[in-house]
Amino acid sequence: MRNKILTLLSLLAVFAMLLSACGTPTPAAPAEPEATQPPAQPQATEPPAQPAPTEAPALKPGDPLPRTETLYFNGLQWGPVVCWNPYSSNCNNAMALAAGDNARVTMFETPYLYNMLDGKQYPLLADGDYSWNAERTELTFKIKPAAKWSDGTPVTAEDVAYTWATHVKYNTGTGAGNKDYIEDIVALDPKTVVIKAKLDANGKAVNPLIVSAFVSSNYVVQKAWTQKLEQRTGGDAAKFLADTAEDVVFSGPYGPFYADETKVVLVRNDKYWGQDPSMWGKLPAPKYLAHAIFKDNAAGFAAFKAGEVDVSQQFNANIQDLWLKEGLPVSTYLPDPPYGIGASLPTAFYNLNSHGLNLVAVRKAIAMAVDYDTIVANAMANQSATFKQVPRSLMNPTPGEQALYDHDAVKDLQWAGKDYEAAKKLLDEAGVVDTDGDGWREYEGKKLSYVATCPNGWSDWQAAIEIVAAAGKEIGIEITTNYPEWSVYQTVVTKSDAPLPAGYDIFMMWSAGAGPTMPWGRIRNLLSSEWIGQPSNWSGNWGQYKNERVDELIKAIPNETNPDKLKEMYTELVKIYLTEVPSFTLMYRPQNFHAVNESVWTNFPHQDDGTNPPVPPLNLVDGWSIAGLYNLTLVK
Amino acid sequence: MKGYWKYFLNKLGWFAITFVFAFVLNFILPRLMPGDPVAAIVSRLAQGMSNATGVQAIYQQYADLFGTNRPMHEQFFIYVRNVFRGDFGFSFSQYPRPVAEVLGASIWWTIALQFPAILVGWIIGNTLGALAAYLKGGFDKVLMPVSIFVSNFPPFGMAVILLAIFGVTLKWFPIAGGYGFDLIPSFSWNFFWSVFIHYQLPFWSIVLIAIGGQAIGMRSMAIYELNADYVKFSRFMGIKDQKIIGYVFRNAMLPQITGLALSIGTMVGGALVAEIVFSYPGLGYTLMNGVMGQDYPLISAATLIITIMVLTANFIIEILYGIIDPRIKAAQSEQ
Amino acid sequence: MKHTLRQVFRSGKFLFGFSIFVSLVLIVLIYPLLVPDDPLRILGQGTFFPPGIYVNTYDSINTSTKYTLNLPNADVRRLESKLSQEDRLAMREWLIAAGIAESEIDIENTSSLLALWNSNYDPKKSIPGMTNARRNYFIRLNNSLKGLTMAGDLVVASKNAESGGLEDLGVVKDTDYVNISEVANVRLLLLGTDNFGRDMLTELVTATRVSLQIGFVAGLIATLIGLTLGLLAGYVGGIVDDIIMFFTNLFTVIPSFVLLILISYSLGQEQRGAFTVATVIGFTSWVWTTRAVRAQVVSLRNRDHVNLSKLSGHSIAHIIIHDILPYIASYVVMALILQISSGILAEAGLSILGLGPKTTEVPTLGLIMRWAMIYQAHIQGNWWAYLPVLVTIALITFSMNLMNTGLDQVFNPALRD
Repeated sequence: MRNKILTLLSLLAVFAMLLSACGTPTPAAPAEPEATQPPAQPQATEPPAQPAPTEAPALKPGDPLPRTETLYFNGLQWGPVVCWNPYSSNCNNAMALAAGDNARVTMFETPYLYNMLDGKQYPLLADGDYSWNAERTELTFKIKPAAKWSDGTPVTAEDVAYTWATHVKYNTGTGAGNKDYIEDIVALDPKTVVIKAKLDANGKAVNPLIVSAFVSSNYVVQKAWTQKLEQRTGGDAAKFLADTAEDVVFSGPYGPFYADETKVVLVRNDKYWGQDPSMWGKLPAPKYLAHAIFKDNAAGFAAFKAGEVDVSQQFNANIQDLWLKEGLPVSTYLPDPPYGIGASLPTAFYNLNSHGLNLVAVRKAIAMAVDYDTIVANAMANQSATFKQVPRSLMNPTPGEQALYDHDAVKDLQWAGKDYEAAKKLLDEAGVVDTDGDGWREYEGKKLSYVATCPNGWSDWQAAIEIVAAAGKEIGIEITTNYPEWSVYQTVVTKSDAPLPAGYDIFMMWSAGAGPTMPWGRIRNLLSSEWIGQPSNWSGNWGQYKNERVDELIKAIPNETNPDKLKEMYTELVKIYLTEVPSFTLMYRPQNFHAVNESVWTNFPHQDDGTNPPVPPLNLVDGWSIAGLYNLTLVK
Repeated sequence: MKGYWKYFLNKLGWFAITFVFAFVLNFILPRLMPGDPVAAIVSRLAQGMSNATGVQAIYQQYADLFGTNRPMHEQFFIYVRNVFRGDFGFSFSQYPRPVAEVLGASIWWTIALQFPAILVGWIIGNTLGALAAYLKGGFDKVLMPVSIFVSNFPPFGMAVILLAIFGVTLKWFPIAGGYGFDLIPSFSWNFFWSVFIHYQLPFWSIVLIAIGGQAIGMRSMAIYELNADYVKFSRFMGIKDQKIIGYVFRNAMLPQITGLALSIGTMVGGALVAEIVFSYPGLGYTLMNGVMGQDYPLISAATLIITIMVLTANFIIEILYGIIDPRIKAAQSEQ
Repeated sequence: MKHTLRQVFRSGKFLFGFSIFVSLVLIVLIYPLLVPDDPLRILGQGTFFPPGIYVNTYDSINTSTKYTLNLPNADVRRLESKLSQEDRLAMREWLIAAGIAESEIDIENTSSLLALWNSNYDPKKSIPGMTNARRNYFIRLNNSLKGLTMAGDLVVASKNAESGGLEDLGVVKDTDYVNISEVANVRLLLLGTDNFGRDMLTELVTATRVSLQIGFVAGLIATLIGLTLGLLAGYVGGIVDDIIMFFTNLFTVIPSFVLLILISYSLGQEQRGAFTVATVIGFTSWVWTTRAVRAQVVSLRNRDHVNLSKLSGHSIAHIIIHDILPYIASYVVMALILQISSGILAEAGLSILGLGPKTTEVPTLGLIMRWAMIYQAHIQGNWWAYLPVLVTIALITFSMNLMNTGLDQVFNPALRD
């Protein structure tokens, strides 16, 4: 009888195994129709008549994307794609849409391409360099005769003008952010664009720097398609910006191919106008640009390590272990720390209204006590230059910016950190001492106690904030940490029309990276008082610092052309910044993280790679770095 | 039979009431969270805008669109009306994607992963537990502790260990995604094979964890029943062992079946960590992001789906319960 | 009572589980007395130092006594640590690519290989088809070979503060040794460091204590609620049963995981202390205990001894305590034990999602795991940063389950071997 039960139970077990075995493939079926319909096969992907330069047969259902024709990315796209609308800032479509200082030009194109390595703007849709008129009030450039849209029609000056008019009409971020500096953009003839700068009372351009940066940081969108979109949405701004725009016409080398919850793929437009000798003279090497959507850094890193990702734009801690310990064909732009080119300065801002933080001595003492070497080594895993290598100023570590201020003049003001004695001395001299013997210093009878904060889950920032808090203990100032969710954090920090609430005494935000207006743009963001009073301030100076001399200098620099005068002005700004310490830089961060796995593709940009102009390490998709896509070769 | 109908209707009534309350809670709970989701969207949309009135106008526009500026009860009635039309509204965090589309894209992955995993884990676990209770000896002493030890790894720990061993080190199975990193979904052998291969690590990470808990429960229940008075009495009466064992395991199964129904409720949560570790698409992560992004419509719709799934499962189990265990039926019809 | 206890401790399974558990508790209690460090103190500048003994180089050079040991094969070992067989093959590959005849290269002869390499290698030379990663490898190899070709002793010098010149302090020969007990600063990092550079072992011990506390609080709360409601619903039945089951069902259909995340998110980081998290877990996980207890009671309440008690006119409380509870006691203990372990797991799960206790005050097992995963320890093979945590969690829950199985045998005498 026992045996029977045993048989029965073993049968049950076998049944379970069978179930698990045949139960598995079936449920996969529903996965199929779930795709957010592949946004309309791009027109003219596979021209039958004209022999395409690469003779790849069309992709059959079930075929993998050919590995040797696909370049895989990580760290750009998080979460599924929402739309393809170049007017919207809410599409979560990182492979196609990211306008800015180093605009992403895979699908949409800017007239010029900015190169963060040499600071120059190179023509893309534009033909030759732009020119200012004698008064520097009008900027003129031509459109390349070869430039075409994906529907085959030529790109015209009218498209550029209409794009601007649309931004203004629908009050997009681009429109709102630039209309104080740009009066109008007009088409002089079908191929000539004139940007008219807004003039001040003296008849001079308000800010020629922003006008010239405009041409490399904003997409040109087709007029005909824009009108179609307007018609469809009936002039309603909300609908206009919320349109998914799956029929969008573009001018770039890649168009949409496939997008769902797990990946987004762009496919090369083999009729791309840029193969004309007046631009690149050929098509970019990869036929597909693919980006798997990972749920966290670790998953993306595992794929990168396995060679399923070629270009990684993630913070990969201890990236050097991949080649030192595992011998993988992985490399970064620089072979040694900091591995990349530092471009932005993640910064801790002081809430200048908090008790005691109105005192320069307290601000400077905390900043001097922080152990920056540990931040660089632990939080950034050495992917940042140290403050011994690049002393603090307002400049990023690139040689171009470093040359803009007088290093000797500010030498005495720069601090390297972990200088507890000097910090304590500073506090003692300012009369901020421990009067009641509890180990914490008081100011006006009230204990100095602050909350240091940054968004939850931003790992390297959180690690840095922990180290800032630890510094407080050493000099008798209580600093605790708190990490609100980003959705809460962003609404609090960017609300500059009211004092910051409690709990935001020392808080971390970014500063601008590399771009055509830098370092002026970064300094303006960090220090200008013009941001105070904005209800949604995404620019900077979140601690609400105000200094009239600084405002004067910020206003004067864009119209200054004499390099000596400029250096003088920048040095003065650095001096004020290091003396007043309204905020302080915690680390240097690259514009983009850029690590490559060379198991399939090689010839990625790296230091001294012989390219001229040099290709910057921006993942081959941003600004001038897209030139790198034309240099890629396969590993033999 | 009349008693059974009464039992059935009584259950149905309670389930209906539960559903209504759960529906209301699903609506209210997310909206009790602190923070203003519209402000978050607007601050994303209004980057670079310099004038306060412009930002205010956008805020107003979106508050109107999402209806967040109306009183809560009005919002509720609009919500009810829309839900009856099958319209769950726009997702806040992925605006302008509608909630139905966001959920539709992820729910099948969760069901396809969790349903078989829970079932297989349940069957293997109960078989082991029953065997251990019945066979005792070596089986109970060796196999049980091993399966218990394995199951005592936390779910994410199992996922991480499987990933590190079979994905990263041995490279037997792919490490991320629901299908090949180089594939586009299609009806083809290649694609299904790829889905199958990607399925393995997340699937076993759930099954291995489930086994131990079920086995312990089943073993205890079976032992408890084996020692019940009725077994001794039946043995004493000379009833065939086989028949007694049949009763024993049927009775021992009852709480285990409840456990199965409950684990369907924890399905979405149970897969969350596996989803993150293996970057597997699914509802858990979508819901989690909904919470982080204060995406009320998304949270409400997702919890509504879970509610319906759990209620249905429970209802079926309750009805089966009534049929299997006469004691309950009797107890109910007494009233 | 005494008799039962003696029986309990005679059960092999219980004893095994109990000893694991007690050892864990003892370690948690005793370790801090031996190593009274702050568990959150950042020691290392850098992330994930591997486990081992760290000897201070500065102090080693400055020890008063030096020992000379002439160990066989010391040179060979030194050489091999710098120049592996793989490196030799790679050197040959480069030299051939650079146009050296293969016959000239003898990779077994170290001195001729190095001579050939030093006279031919040029980091600037571009070799067609070579990846940047490979190029970097050769540059690194070349740099590490520089130390090899250096002849003679190392000179230790210090900088003169006034003149800025170097002053010799002594020489270090390749046969010099120090006795580790004479070095002033030696630190044993049994489990290395974590991503913050904290001593992993100290942190782990503290975290285990905190996680155990969280588990106990959460488990007690959940079991108390579950037991009370389950008894009432199962025994009293009728409308009470319906109402309790109604609430239970409500909490089932809105899964505790969603509630847990919603509540944790709503609380915000500043409110999320370890104890708060434990309470939240307890108040969201009583549901299955209620259902299970109720199911037990329902099948018990029509048994003869209960009916007998009812007929004797005992009060509900009396019946529940004397005629129901003893029969489900083992089950309740099991439920408590499972709730405690699932409380520990729930904390870890929440922390991994970033919704656990706030990070600065105390470490918990979940928080260590979270940071290890954020810094990708599991992908990079830094096992010491996550595996000990997982094993600790598994040991805690395993020991509890074993104890539970042992108890079961005691309470069900038929099962005793």
